[in-house]
Amino acid sequence: MTTSQQQAGRATAVGVTIENVNLSFGKTHVLKGIDLKIEPGEFFAFLGPSGCGKTTLLRLIAGFETAQSGRVVIGGSDVAHLPPWRRNVGMVFQSYALWPHMTVRKNVAFGLEERRVPRAEINRRVDAALETVGLKEYADRRPSQLSGGQQQRVALARTIVIEPQVLLLDEPLSNLDAKLRVQMRRELRQLQRKLSLTTIFVTHDQEEANTTSDRIAVIDNGIVQQVGSPTELYDNPANLFVANFLGVANVVPGAVASEAGRLVFKSDDGAVRVPIGETGRAASHIVFRPQNLLIRPADAPVPERMTRLAGTVDHAEFLGGVVRYRVAVGGHFVLVDAAHQRGEGAMGEGAPVNLFLNDDLIIGLTQ
Amino acid sequence: MRRQSGEVFGVISEFRKHPGQAALMALISLFLFIFLVVPVVQVVFVAFLDAGTGEFTLLNFKDFFNTALFRESFWNSIYVGVMSVVLASAFAMPLAYFTSRFEFRGAVIIQGLGIIPLIMPPFVGAVAMMMLFGRNGSVNLLLEEYFGINIPFMEGLNGVIFVESLHYFPFILINLSAALHNIDRAMEESAQNLGCSGLRLYRRIVLPLAMPGYMAGASLVFLKVFDDLGTPLLLNVNSMLAPQAYLRIASIGIKDPMGYVISVILVVIALASMWLATLALRGKDYATVQKGGGGLAKRRMRPIEMAFAWVIVVFIMALVLAPHFGLTLLSFGTIWSYSVVPDAFTLNHFRAIFAETPEYMTNTVLYSGLAALIDVVLGTAIAYIVLRTKLAGRQWLDYLAMSAVAIPGLVIGIGYLRAFYDIEVPGLGGQAFGTWWVAIVIALAIRRLPYALRACSAALQQVSVSLEESAESLGANKMKTVYRIVVPLMAGGILAGFVTSFATAAVELGMTLMLVSKHSDGPLAYGIYVYMQSAAGRGPGAALGIFAVLVVGLCTFLSHLFVDRRQRKLGMTQAK
Amino acid sequence: MKRFTWKSGVALLAAGFAAGVLATPGPAFALEDKVVIVTSFPKDLTGPYKKAFEAKFPGTTVEILQKNTAAAVTYLQETAKGNTVDLMWASAPDAFEVLKKAGMLTKYAPKAQGIPEKVGSYPIHDPDGYYMGFAASGYGIMWNTRYLTGKNLPVAKEWDDLKKAIYFGHVGMSSPSRSGTTHLTVETVLQGEGWDKGWATWKEISGNFKMVTERSFGVPEGVNSGDFGIGLVIDFFGFSSKATGFPVEFVYPTVTTLVPANIGIVKNPPHGQAAEAFVEYLLSVEGQQLLLDPAIQRLPVNPATYAKAPEGFPNPFNDKSIGAAVKFDVDKSGARYNIVNSLFDVLFTYRLADLTAATKAIHAADAALAGKSNEKAAGLIKEARALLDKMPISEAEAIDDKYPGVFTSDVFKDRKKADTKVPPRQAEIEEKWDAFALANYKAAKDKAEQALALLK
Repeated sequence: MTTSQQQAGRATAVGVTIENVNLSFGKTHVLKGIDLKIEPGEFFAFLGPSGCGKTTLLRLIAGFETAQSGRVVIGGSDVAHLPPWRRNVGMVFQSYALWPHMTVRKNVAFGLEERRVPRAEINRRVDAALETVGLKEYADRRPSQLSGGQQQRVALARTIVIEPQVLLLDEPLSNLDAKLRVQMRRELRQLQRKLSLTTIFVTHDQEEANTTSDRIAVIDNGIVQQVGSPTELYDNPANLFVANFLGVANVVPGAVASEAGRLVFKSDDGAVRVPIGETGRAASHIVFRPQNLLIRPADAPVPERMTRLAGTVDHAEFLGGVVRYRVAVGGHFVLVDAAHQRGEGAMGEGAPVNLFLNDDLIIGLTQ
Repeated sequence: MRRQSGEVFGVISEFRKHPGQAALMALISLFLFIFLVVPVVQVVFVAFLDAGTGEFTLLNFKDFFNTALFRESFWNSIYVGVMSVVLASAFAMPLAYFTSRFEFRGAVIIQGLGIIPLIMPPFVGAVAMMMLFGRNGSVNLLLEEYFGINIPFMEGLNGVIFVESLHYFPFILINLSAALHNIDRAMEESAQNLGCSGLRLYRRIVLPLAMPGYMAGASLVFLKVFDDLGTPLLLNVNSMLAPQAYLRIASIGIKDPMGYVISVILVVIALASMWLATLALRGKDYATVQKGGGGLAKRRMRPIEMAFAWVIVVFIMALVLAPHFGLTLLSFGTIWSYSVVPDAFTLNHFRAIFAETPEYMTNTVLYSGLAALIDVVLGTAIAYIVLRTKLAGRQWLDYLAMSAVAIPGLVIGIGYLRAFYDIEVPGLGGQAFGTWWVAIVIALAIRRLPYALRACSAALQQVSVSLEESAESLGANKMKTVYRIVVPLMAGGILAGFVTSFATAAVELGMTLMLVSKHSDGPLAYGIYVYMQSAAGRGPGAALGIFAVLVVGLCTFLSHLFVDRRQRKLGMTQAK
Repeated sequence: MKRFTWKSGVALLAAGFAAGVLATPGPAFALEDKVVIVTSFPKDLTGPYKKAFEAKFPGTTVEILQKNTAAAVTYLQETAKGNTVDLMWASAPDAFEVLKKAGMLTKYAPKAQGIPEKVGSYPIHDPDGYYMGFAASGYGIMWNTRYLTGKNLPVAKEWDDLKKAIYFGHVGMSSPSRSGTTHLTVETVLQGEGWDKGWATWKEISGNFKMVTERSFGVPEGVNSGDFGIGLVIDFFGFSSKATGFPVEFVYPTVTTLVPANIGIVKNPPHGQAAEAFVEYLLSVEGQQLLLDPAIQRLPVNPATYAKAPEGFPNPFNDKSIGAAVKFDVDKSGARYNIVNSLFDVLFTYRLADLTAATKAIHAADAALAGKSNEKAAGLIKEARALLDKMPISEAEAIDDKYPGVFTSDVFKDRKKADTKVPPRQAEIEEKWDAFALANYKAAKDKAEQALALLK
């Protein structure tokens, strides 16, 4: 890989394609037929609970794992047979993996030295990279003398300085405190925009994925559950897992029946009855979000074109901006968020209420 | 989380995928095969031959167990091994306890105690101990004069146990201290939180967690004592297995197979004790799972406790330094005979050795240095293969290298002569490999490889895999990664391995005596032995011994300083 | 050292004139660049010879390889195929006999003059010409004067003195299988007193042993440091310890043998000329003179050398009382060499604790009997002593050849040609002896204790 090629790689971002990848460790089948296409310049997230296979997939792209079948294509060429050091893929590790025996400057210069870049250019690019992450004055410190956020930035600088084709981030924010995490994820996003670098981000935190990524692949149990932009995933989850994993969801199991020429979804105990569109004909569950419901005292007027569910308040939680009610509807508990107005008290436990549900916002799921 | 980042490579066709690693493993295996397996087999197979007909037989083993003397020797060896572990534990446990539990200013001294006995050639130590603790040694002469009693410290098996446990207790001290140091403080605190404290806390939490470290040290002590030849030989105790084997093999005429049978039994028992220790600890190696918790909480001692601790430390230190003290008296004394101290003091012995025998010193530094170098190179490579690759059989490579610890030096020595005496070294004009000094270096390297290997493995275990992967993803190939990242990060452990190998190789005698083929090839231990075989040579021999202790001690101290400073600079905590 | 160079120069001239021939090859001869010697001798002995020889023959280095006699023989056997050694240089003639029989020595006739045929009753050079004697040594008793004073013990000058109860736990000796000269001593007493009486003497002396040392130097070491007071040692250990300044003395008992310490050229020596030159130097007057060095102190085989000897240095060629009492039979000794070693180890070395325990009981009974008359007790003590002294085999049985393939090493013979009849294994025989000794020592102890009980 020559320097000029690397620079060319920077100018035109490359895509990553993963085709039918299967990977097992011994008897454990970790990745099951993964297919993904990541566009050039995209900020892409692998989101899923721990143990879902997302880190393994990332390591596969970096070259640290070998798949039993399938292809990984970076920028149009199959990299399956390339060792990690020939892939020009930059990876930032969860632990940052800064070498304790080298100064910050030496850590950052490492990749360039391996590429036999002339010393003068190394110095220039290392300075530039440290400038980018705002750590120029820390160049001669050792990693152990830096704070967690600073270490994170060094790890980032060390990776971007080689101008990789693809930037891989393995839970890079998990070791930072909450406030720093918010700040760093913005910086990451800005940096990625500036460099227009294809970036893959592994996280188990949906908020992190939502705030940074163009698109997200939700992974569970070694299978890609759904791919889409954060809003697509939230609004139209493909299955119960995605619905539950992204945000809070009310899930009611039941079946669809035809009543008076209209399709109606009924919960098993019949307490929940909602009309459902043609697309939901085969639904076995319905999903709706707490903020898509209105909650009114039982004696308040009924809004039009909305489905009513009658119940009693079981529990109320004050969350600041909203009050989250748990309402018993037949044998089901339904969560409802109501915006909190100053001075307004929450409805008490046992209070009879009506819940109103906008039919258009009901999602029917078959699984 | 780290679980995901490491040790995961494809399983199939590893050899084809990593030809470099496979070739390295093949090369090391070949080296161990030629220089460990072949010589040992050369010795072992004699045990299975009928002395009369040369045919295969198991009769020799039947003879062994039919002979009262051998049975007695067998039980004596086991007894001495076990009792040495008990006594060594009695020395090591309070010391480890003080350093792990309290803010104790004697900690530095205790660390020193952890290495000082190991750098004294045991046979020299035995001579000095006889002068001090023998039936008519200084201590007993004083006791007799003032109290009219005489304590047989050095008589028979007691003497062997006394000398051996003083020499080998550092193995327990070092391992136990490391284990205590590695215990996460949260382990102790959570127990206290749940209402457990004091001795109960020690019994229920601390001891079980430190057990693997203790067992590792104790099994090593048993093994070394069980195999040791020099000490019983110098104390003229012959009803033990190692001396029986030696006497039978090295004497003219008594060339029956029994010496070889005993060698086989020594090897088998040693391997079995290693295996038992591993078995007992299977799945219990918690200490390495917990990540550097900074050890147990330390508190200040009350003055009375402090005084008590100092009394114990000083007492143990006096015992540990007794051989060195005795040796110093010998080296400066004129005549020391049936008296508490020498008649007068002189510098002549030191003058004699500096005038006559500089080659012993250069040979020692050369041989031990080369052997230790081979050890750390092999140790690093084997540790890497075992911990970082998925090559089939890599665990067996580890077992093979470690098994050298169970092979008595005597067996290696005879095996080398047998295997290599008629193999000529090309380009040296008919020089046989078995009589070439390089054979001594390789034999020393094989003998000390287990020490270096354990140090290198421990060091590599502490290097996070992600540190390597990040280098690879930044463009460094495996070799470059090892060279630029792994080795520098392991430097402390590698150096520790080097020093242990170097220091212990420098004082090895039994095998060296078998393999030295000319005077000018002899190392210090050999020189001391040769000096000590004449009346006029006792002083110069002791002076040479002092010199050996100083040289090895200085090397050890300097490298400790280096490791310490380096670790502090890197901000890394590394359990020794 | 200077003193010796000057002296040896004079001596060389004198020898040259007297003999009319140049006894030693001069420096003009082109020798090989080195000569390799395997030896059991300490540095004190080899050092001066190395220095002097190298000074005399510049360009030739003497390489010394120090091993104990047994290990040296083993070493030569193990490395015979790729032999790198020129000379074997050690005390025990037996070791040379073993090497000679194994065909591992080269025949050589020394040119040096003035050396008599015998010292005492022992031929100085091997009559077959395979090895040469260069110094005489005899076995004797060495004691630490401070120790004896401290423990209030009298000096022991004869073997029989050492049997006395007062010396219990104060005596040390090496084992004949480890030390060639010890073997000679054991054999000397056996030949001087006869098989049964000889062994009985050894049993009674050994009953007083504190230890049987593993190395021959272990004995002077123990006496010098005061670990035990009396040692049975070869003369030069006593002389050199005394010369070093240790408070020790040495005496030859009446029954002793002077035997030569030897040098032999190994088969196929890599540096043959230098090896011969070294042998000649050793036997020359100049070389013989070096033996008088205070740290060496061995008896030269060239009588002329004694003229320069210090006051009080024994001269066996004048003082016929040394080593003359026994006519040492080399053939007899050689024929039972291995059996004597093995017997000693099985009955004494490895069972010393049992032997001394029985001896202690007998001493105690003897002491209790003193001044009383109790026939039964006396009888029991006598029985105990007889049991203790009993040997498992008779002199007639004690011939190595009666146990073909048992005591001889595999290196000395081709296994394939061994008799079709399968001989008993050494371990089997030794186990029988061991059981025999153990039972008798135990019985002797019991009897002595019974006697003691009767006397209380």
